[in-house]
Amino acid sequence: MNTGNLQQAIDISIDLTKEASAAVLKPGQKPAAQESGSIKKIHTACRACISNCGVIATVKDGRVINLEGDPEDPMSKGHMCAKGLTGLQALYNPNRNKYPMIRVGERGENKWKRLSWDEALTIIAKKLIEAKRDYGAESVLCSTGGGGNPEFWSIARFCNIFGTPNWFEPGCAQCYLPRMLIYTLMYGGADASIADSNAKEIYYPDSTEMKSLTLWGADPSYSSPAMGGAAVNDLRAHGVKTIVIDPRMTPDAAKADVWLPIRPGTDVALLMAWLRYIIETKAYKEDFVLRWTNLPYLVNTETKLFWRAKEGAGPGHPDTFMVWDKKTGRPQPLEYPWNEDYEVDLEGTYEVDGVVYKTGFTLLKERVADYTIEKAARICKLDPEMILKSVRTYLDNQPGGICIGVATDQSPNSTQAPMASCAIDILMGNVESPGALMQRFRDSGVFNVGYCVPPAPSKLPDSQLVKRLGGNEYKGLHMWMAAHAPTILHALETGEPYPIRVWLERSGNKLVNVADASRWAKASKNVPFIVHMYMYPTSFSCYADMLLPSEEWLETDMFQETCHKLIARQAVTHLWETVDETMIWSLIAKKCAELGDEECKKSLDAEYMGDDLPYWDSTIELLDKCLIKKDLTFEELKKHSPMPYISEEEYRSYYVYKEINPATGLPGGFATGSGKCEVYMENLITLSRTGKPFAHGVLPPASHDYDPLPFYIEPEESPMDAEGLAKDFPLVMTNGRLPFFHHGTLRNTPWTREMCPAPEVWIHPKDAEKYGIIDDEWVWVESKRGKVRGIASITSGIGEGTVYMERYWAPENLNTPTHGWQEMGVSVLARADAPYNEVVGTYTLRGYLVKVYPAPEGAPEGVWLEPKQFKAWLPNPTDPTPDMTKEVKA
Amino acid sequence: MKKITFVIELDRCIGCKGCQASCKMANGVALGNCRNPVKTVGPHGTYPDIQMYFMPAMCQQCENPSCVAVCPTGACYVNDEDGVILIDENLCIGCRSCEEACPYDCCSLNQERLIMDKCNICLSRRAEGEMPACVKNCSGSCLHVGDINDPESEVSRLLKEAGEENIYTLRDFGNHPSICYILKNEKWMDLLPQECRDTKRGKGCRS
Repeated sequence: MNTGNLQQAIDISIDLTKEASAAVLKPGQKPAAQESGSIKKIHTACRACISNCGVIATVKDGRVINLEGDPEDPMSKGHMCAKGLTGLQALYNPNRNKYPMIRVGERGENKWKRLSWDEALTIIAKKLIEAKRDYGAESVLCSTGGGGNPEFWSIARFCNIFGTPNWFEPGCAQCYLPRMLIYTLMYGGADASIADSNAKEIYYPDSTEMKSLTLWGADPSYSSPAMGGAAVNDLRAHGVKTIVIDPRMTPDAAKADVWLPIRPGTDVALLMAWLRYIIETKAYKEDFVLRWTNLPYLVNTETKLFWRAKEGAGPGHPDTFMVWDKKTGRPQPLEYPWNEDYEVDLEGTYEVDGVVYKTGFTLLKERVADYTIEKAARICKLDPEMILKSVRTYLDNQPGGICIGVATDQSPNSTQAPMASCAIDILMGNVESPGALMQRFRDSGVFNVGYCVPPAPSKLPDSQLVKRLGGNEYKGLHMWMAAHAPTILHALETGEPYPIRVWLERSGNKLVNVADASRWAKASKNVPFIVHMYMYPTSFSCYADMLLPSEEWLETDMFQETCHKLIARQAVTHLWETVDETMIWSLIAKKCAELGDEECKKSLDAEYMGDDLPYWDSTIELLDKCLIKKDLTFEELKKHSPMPYISEEEYRSYYVYKEINPATGLPGGFATGSGKCEVYMENLITLSRTGKPFAHGVLPPASHDYDPLPFYIEPEESPMDAEGLAKDFPLVMTNGRLPFFHHGTLRNTPWTREMCPAPEVWIHPKDAEKYGIIDDEWVWVESKRGKVRGIASITSGIGEGTVYMERYWAPENLNTPTHGWQEMGVSVLARADAPYNEVVGTYTLRGYLVKVYPAPEGAPEGVWLEPKQFKAWLPNPTDPTPDMTKEVKA
Repeated sequence: MKKITFVIELDRCIGCKGCQASCKMANGVALGNCRNPVKTVGPHGTYPDIQMYFMPAMCQQCENPSCVAVCPTGACYVNDEDGVILIDENLCIGCRSCEEACPYDCCSLNQERLIMDKCNICLSRRAEGEMPACVKNCSGSCLHVGDINDPESEVSRLLKEAGEENIYTLRDFGNHPSICYILKNEKWMDLLPQECRDTKRGKGCRS
């Protein structure tokens, strides 16, 4: 097989079928006549990652010639990072998917034929309708993730409308959902993830009262350099103390006041030690904890549920809970929000009528009682003095906040980590106060849970909802309407509980982002029809039957919020036959409707769809329908972007919970069932039994109640068990972002690829000596699931016993037997097997065991390492581009 | 006399290399060439007494530039108007004398055009009244450019505020590098750019 790239083969195939595009210029041919000499600077917004930084694009005769940061964006403030800047090369990459293509050879043989969009949609719709008829709608699987200009709710919406409960992404339970879910349930506002554009307090370094910032498994300088990275930098310059918990010496770790190089997968043990220390030293804000958390409420120790005096009387009137009143020495009903007549006990065990009750606070205290600093030091492989210094730095520099990053999402302890971090900040009163990360600042109100596409959860019938793969056991997944990745893998492999017949996939290389990628690649062969929609072919394309070309961010119309402004991502050019994802799913639904699918027919009915909106004919139609809530059209927003929708002062709304609800005359409280911060998470028990508040229908209970308090489980593959797996695989693997890539993207763009042509394997000097590793030489990294290669980097910037490697693939090898993902892809090593997190079903992407040994073979065959080799991916200067910029702010 | 050069706050450099990408875009720098590599200095020491910082290492705009001294054609010269060292592309013969003479590894051969390549502080952008691309986009806001001989300039103000004890230049071999690095929070390591950690390509595969 030749080592050319996939697109070369595609072009040959096009020639063979005599369907050469009018858009492809032949030598000597001139591009279509265009108004020449027009240079425009257009305010748009990046989507190279999820940060959405403001960008000014310079467009000459329809062609983008320069990108730079937009100083009018209040979050990125004019900064722009390597990922965003390389958007130029991503846009004009000669290997873009240009037209819909259908496979004409065997899978992986890389023979394709061009189709019209209508032909492609007809084939897809027929396959979908057939699958629904013969196997049920649940036999259709959709997936997204992996970076690269996604619109997440588009896919959930299509699934809900078509009737399949099964979509997934490699993130979700492994990225962000655990944190979003816990912070939502615990206080009802934005979580404290900087990379997910929350923790907005950090963007006001001149006026914030913040004195410390804890980056727990978060590295904004690498995950979002221009936005969060820049903001944290400003905070440090203003004297804010920083504490970084990260196995790897990231730039933020290097600049921190305290850095703890924790053993991957053990964060919850350390968080529990912090909790214990704060409780034991009585450092918490007692008055806030009494009045504004549910910790003084009495819990029945048998049922684990609160003792309720009476049910609430509707919105604004939460349930009345029982507390222990020290004055009367009796349990008393505490009507929301407070009763000054009582002297409420925060801590205690009481027996009433033969039932033992404890306060939530007592249960929390008992839960963390064992977690001394010394114990955490042993588990986390840290110096106890440094642990003490970390928690003291946090406590001595209040107000502060804990930004919890993706690291803890990537192991089965996933939900317990934000349970603990959120609890710590709440105990310290760092919620909705100036200087806190947890805030309910105002928003524009034009979104549906962060995105503009309405996901239409009510359109999925209950009878289909209960079939969601893994959905009954891991009910937290219903927050995102998503299925459980390992249960999907099982269905793909075995056809149980039902077969998957059609797979519509949109991501930046699934095989780079899922755990145990080899199993997924093999299992994909059991699916009769697979479509891959993306901006360019990836390894996954080699397992697909059809390719659909989607838009790069510079071709996309969308809008975003950036603090108190709305910002338009506007199409500044358009290439080939690419279509935006918001439209692709609409087109598929419409074609299904045309061919008789009843559910999709209803999705065109404005009355039936209501606030979920009928499917749209253009992205602009959708955007206008959202923006109408602000009396705006997208055209107007484009002209004034970034455009304030509120003043900065109004935007920064502190103490929202104290605002009086005019309907009740009482403080509105937190956005939880009780109006209090629900540190004792009885709501997780409700979730496990019913799926409420997330599932749209009725679900059978999970196999057990979820635990309402944080707990720590040692990783299944543990280096502590020296006689077990660790005998052969003694090192612990972690991953982490680099500033050149977002998930699976940008390995095919010359500027980023020459900065990092292959993955580094970080290893401590003592481990390197032990295992005969030489710096800058190729090594094998092996887990019990497979082995891949990387380049050794011997550094004391990683703890002893830990190795670090980032996800990788080699687009230059798509047309080889490895399809580019098997050589250097750390996902081959990761663990998709149980145990899983009990709430959302997280598997193990970090914190499993590996061994590292020299690779005398050197670099994997065909992998490009020399900058000159990336020339093949430089823009082709002859592509003609239409001028999309007629009506924009010059 | 005017001397345009960089003042770089190393405490603010977050090592993201956005400056490298912005330079490539603004100046059409060829693959394999990099005018402003961000070097990783460290980690040095043993945990917890360990440190690491990042150092953008572009042409140091020396006061007594060895590249200019050795250039056989006069292509490499100091622009009288602003003190910036430039390469006249029409005169350069790509002989690599400047590369050999530069103690900081800051000139390299453009393999496409076979002429020498180095930072000219975004000559064309400055001509249009714009900031250099690296300064404009820098996520850490660590890069500053201006007339170091003008006491009223931003760069002079920054140096004054930093205090002499926190200002460093690369090792001086008599060429008097003009770029000033401000470093307060870590110990300055007297390392040349070529002695610092850089992109790994695996042994035997170096460009």
